[in-house]
Amino acid sequence: MILSDLIGAQVADAEGTHVGTVVDVRFVIDGNPGQLLADARLAGLLVSPHGRSSTWGYERSGATGPWPIAQWLRWLHRGLFLVHWEDVSMVDVGRVALRAGYERHDAALGPRTSDG
Amino acid sequence: MKRIFAVALGILTAIGGFVDIGDLVTNAVVGSRFGLGLVWVVLVGVVGICLYANMAGRVAAVSGRATFEIIRERLGPRAGFANLAASFLINLLTLTAEIGGVALALQLASGVDPMLWVPLAAFGVWIVVWRAKFDLLENVTGMLGLTLIVFAVALFLLSPDWGSLAGQALAPTVPSSESVATYWFYAVALFGAAMTPYEVFFFSSGAIEEGWKRKDLMTERLNVFVGFPLGGLLSIAIAGCAAVVLLPEAISVTSLSQVVLPVAQAGGTVALSFAIVGILAATFGAALETTLSSGYTLAQYFGWSWGKFRRPARAARFHLSMIVCIVVGVLILFTGVDPIAVTEYSVVFSAVALPLTYLPILLVANDREYMGTEVNGRGANALGVVYLVIILIAALAAIPLLILTGAGA
Amino acid sequence: MTIRRDQTAGLVLDAQLHLLDRQVLDRDGVPVSTVDDVEVGGIRPGEPVDPAAPPPVITDLLVGTEIATRIFGGRPPASRRMPISWRLVSDVGTVVRLGVAGDSLDAGWVERWVSEHIIARIPGGRHDPE
Repeated sequence: MILSDLIGAQVADAEGTHVGTVVDVRFVIDGNPGQLLADARLAGLLVSPHGRSSTWGYERSGATGPWPIAQWLRWLHRGLFLVHWEDVSMVDVGRVALRAGYERHDAALGPRTSDG
Repeated sequence: MKRIFAVALGILTAIGGFVDIGDLVTNAVVGSRFGLGLVWVVLVGVVGICLYANMAGRVAAVSGRATFEIIRERLGPRAGFANLAASFLINLLTLTAEIGGVALALQLASGVDPMLWVPLAAFGVWIVVWRAKFDLLENVTGMLGLTLIVFAVALFLLSPDWGSLAGQALAPTVPSSESVATYWFYAVALFGAAMTPYEVFFFSSGAIEEGWKRKDLMTERLNVFVGFPLGGLLSIAIAGCAAVVLLPEAISVTSLSQVVLPVAQAGGTVALSFAIVGILAATFGAALETTLSSGYTLAQYFGWSWGKFRRPARAARFHLSMIVCIVVGVLILFTGVDPIAVTEYSVVFSAVALPLTYLPILLVANDREYMGTEVNGRGANALGVVYLVIILIAALAAIPLLILTGAGA
Repeated sequence: MTIRRDQTAGLVLDAQLHLLDRQVLDRDGVPVSTVDDVEVGGIRPGEPVDPAAPPPVITDLLVGTEIATRIFGGRPPASRRMPISWRLVSDVGTVVRLGVAGDSLDAGWVERWVSEHIIARIPGGRHDPE
């Protein structure tokens, strides 16, 4: 499956209630070790109840500049949450279903700074 | 001398933006119709381009990413492509005009029909882009372009009524012979000419060509804060000369020979030759700047290998796209279109395209992943957001004003 | 519903934010392409996810033809895709670095074709600028 089939997909819970849109897909590079990097394991989906597409992750990174653009973009994705892959029951093109009793996780990212 | 060469990139970039063929004529037109009543726009434009180019240059030096890579990364494929299409078209129109401008400058020097000079001018641009090292091309065109300072000298030699000029500049009014819409049309055109996106594409890619790193940020700032104010000064000097000589006699500027008329009147043949050398260098420099910018924007959007620090065979699509652009430019000129009219439209369209080019740079200049500790400070961000608003207003006003005034006629 | 905070080891990569549309450089720092899309292996569309199965992983970066469909819509046939295997990726930061030379990749064929058939045939095309 390609990523652009997944991003923008509509997410529903086990009862079929719409809970938001997939705005990003989180991977963690800690899978089976490869030649250069470990496998990038799909950790979960970032679901936004309001925004329809990712807008540079201000709601995840804690970045505050430039005011007021950062604040506005953060507000756009208020309520964004992460669902773990274990809580996903089905994925189809443009459509994702979650398991009963799925959990919403904080989507915050740790600091990423350039080391150059 | 070494110090001057250290700021050659900034000087060439600014000359290509402020005193290329379209601006030479636009500045003189503005001076002959509005006096110095639009000088404030040039000042607003100079501050804006300093802010914008300084962010783009800092991003390039610290992260190693040139402006159109940033645009693609932030805007994604769709909005990025819309921006590419607009920027590329503006570039191509300007490139066409500059090749025509080189031919017009050669006509001014030789009296030979510009159409005969067009193929030679185009070949000259290509051979430099193909074979010359980046620092050679920026040093030669940048330094020769400095001879345009003769316009500032001429302004002094004309010993104008400084009080009246200062009055025009400090308390701008719309002359009774002009409409308010025309005044604002030229304000947007001058602002667009000062803040052309291709300047920033060229400057940030030039920073990569020169191998600037975090330790070169001082050089980067020096280039910005010497180059662009100098470009603004030259553009005001040209308008000033026209305001002193052409405005009182109600001469309307339509060609290069009228642009240089005040210089010839003030300083005779010697001054005139300096002006012609300067115009030749400025238009040739602007032709190089726009040709390279066409290649840079395409290559950076699609992720192709680019750069004059590589041999052409190692940046093949980059060089091929520039060859195609030059050929298309020559074909457009052979239709007999007026190069000066072409640039007048292209500066207005660059004002329209500017917001989508400016915003990604403003965002990335705040992104610690790219910039580490070199992110924008509070002052730069405050000014950055103020300019985002100005740029948005200029972009929204540009097309209606263009239609309303019939391109300032 | 409570919001939980996660702790994970390993580099966290939000694909849209940190991977898509970034520049891909080869071992020597030469640009190869941008990341136009990403192929994820281990998802069977429309079928229930088996909780016991290993999680999906990134198998390839897709370059070249994907860009057209991301701009204009539609889906490219899988046979036309130009993949760069995740195994060749050595680092993901503000750029994606590969551990191999760009010339060794199938995905670099257009650049190689233009270079060999056009640019290298023009005098000076194989020489450094002077």
